[in-house]
Amino acid sequence: MRLLAGICGSFPRPPALRRAFDELEAGRIGEKEFMDILENSTREVVGLQENAGMSVTTSGLLMWHDLLRPFAVKFSGIEPRRLLRFFDNNFYYRCPAIVGRVSWNGPVTMDEVRRVKRYTTRPVKAIIPGPYTFLKLSENLFYESEDLLVDDLIKALRSEADVLGEVADFLQVDEPSLVDPELGRADRMRGIDIVNELLSRVKIPGEKVIVATYFDLDPEKYSLLLELKAGLHVDLKSRVEAAREALMEYGFDGKLLSLGVIDSRSIFPEDPREIVYRLSPILDAASPETLIFSTSSWLDYIPFNEAVRKLDALGRVLAEAEVRFG
Amino acid sequence: MSYRPPDKLKTTVVGSYPYFSEALKAFQLRKKGQRGPEYESLVKEATRRAVEDYINVGLDIIADGEQRREDMAVFFAEELGGFEISDLVRIFDNVYFRKPVIADRITWIHEIVFGDWKYASGISRGRPVKVTLTGPYTMYSWSFDKFYGDPRKAILDLAEALRKEIEALVGAGAAYIQVDEPAFSTRAEKSDLEIAEEAFEIMFEGLDNVKRITHICYGKLERLFPAILDFPIDQIDLETKNSNYKVLDLLREYSFDKELALGVVDVHSSRIEAVDEVIEGILRGLEVVRPDKLYVKPDCGLKRLSREVALAKLENMVKAAKKVREELA
Repeated sequence: MRLLAGICGSFPRPPALRRAFDELEAGRIGEKEFMDILENSTREVVGLQENAGMSVTTSGLLMWHDLLRPFAVKFSGIEPRRLLRFFDNNFYYRCPAIVGRVSWNGPVTMDEVRRVKRYTTRPVKAIIPGPYTFLKLSENLFYESEDLLVDDLIKALRSEADVLGEVADFLQVDEPSLVDPELGRADRMRGIDIVNELLSRVKIPGEKVIVATYFDLDPEKYSLLLELKAGLHVDLKSRVEAAREALMEYGFDGKLLSLGVIDSRSIFPEDPREIVYRLSPILDAASPETLIFSTSSWLDYIPFNEAVRKLDALGRVLAEAEVRFG
Repeated sequence: MSYRPPDKLKTTVVGSYPYFSEALKAFQLRKKGQRGPEYESLVKEATRRAVEDYINVGLDIIADGEQRREDMAVFFAEELGGFEISDLVRIFDNVYFRKPVIADRITWIHEIVFGDWKYASGISRGRPVKVTLTGPYTMYSWSFDKFYGDPRKAILDLAEALRKEIEALVGAGAAYIQVDEPAFSTRAEKSDLEIAEEAFEIMFEGLDNVKRITHICYGKLERLFPAILDFPIDQIDLETKNSNYKVLDLLREYSFDKELALGVVDVHSSRIEAVDEVIEGILRGLEVVRPDKLYVKPDCGLKRLSREVALAKLENMVKAAKKVREELA
């Protein structure tokens, strides 16, 4: 089993970039100055990941206001509108209003992935929202049939996935709605069909794609997720016991599994040695070819300095695991 | 001076009122750590103006307007022992806030809202002044925990700390104590509600001569039922207008027999609801609860509205309650 480590998605914006967003909006700095700060911030965040021992890096999604925003802005037919709560977090996203035919208008995050590649030689993971979560978190004001909207969302996301596949080493498709506790089994099964439809159309091979779920997991939901035709990321921290039970009951015999072992929504100190010790029974049941240790979800829910501590803890989990399971 | 509220359809507020300029200045002083006489006099003046508006618009049960509190969780975290305030955490876009951090055992160290309640009661011309406290479950949910690592222990310690404040208030004559728990409807699972119920027992045990209220809003109110019905409370204060009174069906299903404080105006919209529209809402509430058990109020605190809009909404709300009361008579 190959062991890797990498964060699930975003990293909090470094203070300089946080200020630069406000300065740009207020007209106190120009686009060029902002882009210089973004470049430096990307280098800083990539450097933090490398120093902490991450074997897979991300851009930190530093420009993303929320999971859907870059796509809601760049795709045709969508306008980001009212603020809504993002699942059970004290974090809000702008609901994409579907106001016309959805289509891809050119790369959305390709530059961001290229920017990361300038600062690391390690594998880079690109991230896109999945079609089911996009559908569930949007408001359809245009399509007469939801199936038609799903079809166009899949086409647009597939185009993005294909261009990202040319530059990224892994592609993560974020699908928190697949484990949304408010949805029933039938909705979940439909969601899995929709995601599999996207996966069947992308050019990137399945062993390089991870469908990421977070904020919940239990045996019933997990048993359905195993139908996904790709690697899988699961959150082991939001519902600790239910998630452990799921993994131990159903195992994992796919190629790529990412385990969210570091809690991305809490700053309570975590002991890497204990985390690895508690993973033993899970790894008796699950034996992927590649196992990625990760954060349970994005790191946007904690302050920057705490996220740096989480990175360090994640790096130490990998080091401990290499001794124990490597 | 005494004031006798009507027996039926008492009008009230959830708590907060748009901030007066004095309150905004007080926030700036507080941020600089300057909490001397100037700070206190600014808060007092803002509270006086909020109380005046509440009385002049004709409410039966008022509040102090929460002019001292810029944020409902951070304020209590700053006043209780055991909390620190974190670095910035993103809440949306590029907007950040400082989230409370539980860094040590939570304790009550001094009176928190007692002074403002006492002052408001002294100028309320006999109207009861409801006290509003941010509840233990919400305080925990909206904080980082780097001390307990066990929600139950932290929430029960919060309840013990708030109990001390409640005891002081009830001892001084406070008749309406409202514990705000907006986090109930966003995250609470069955096990969380069991802990929250224990917390309410700690806060209110043996305090029979006070109206025990909880305010809950925005989210999936349905997930609270039926567990919330077992809580040791007399009144549930809900956001209902914004969610088109959906929760009333559930109350009917569970033969709800506590008092209900019904939200009849939307605090997230500056549209002024017409009197007839408010009456319609009150009548929907009356299909579930007797008029002596139905309180009429906005969905939530008014602090995000302009003063003019808040006053106009309250004015129509008071008129609507009066009209329905007359029809019932």
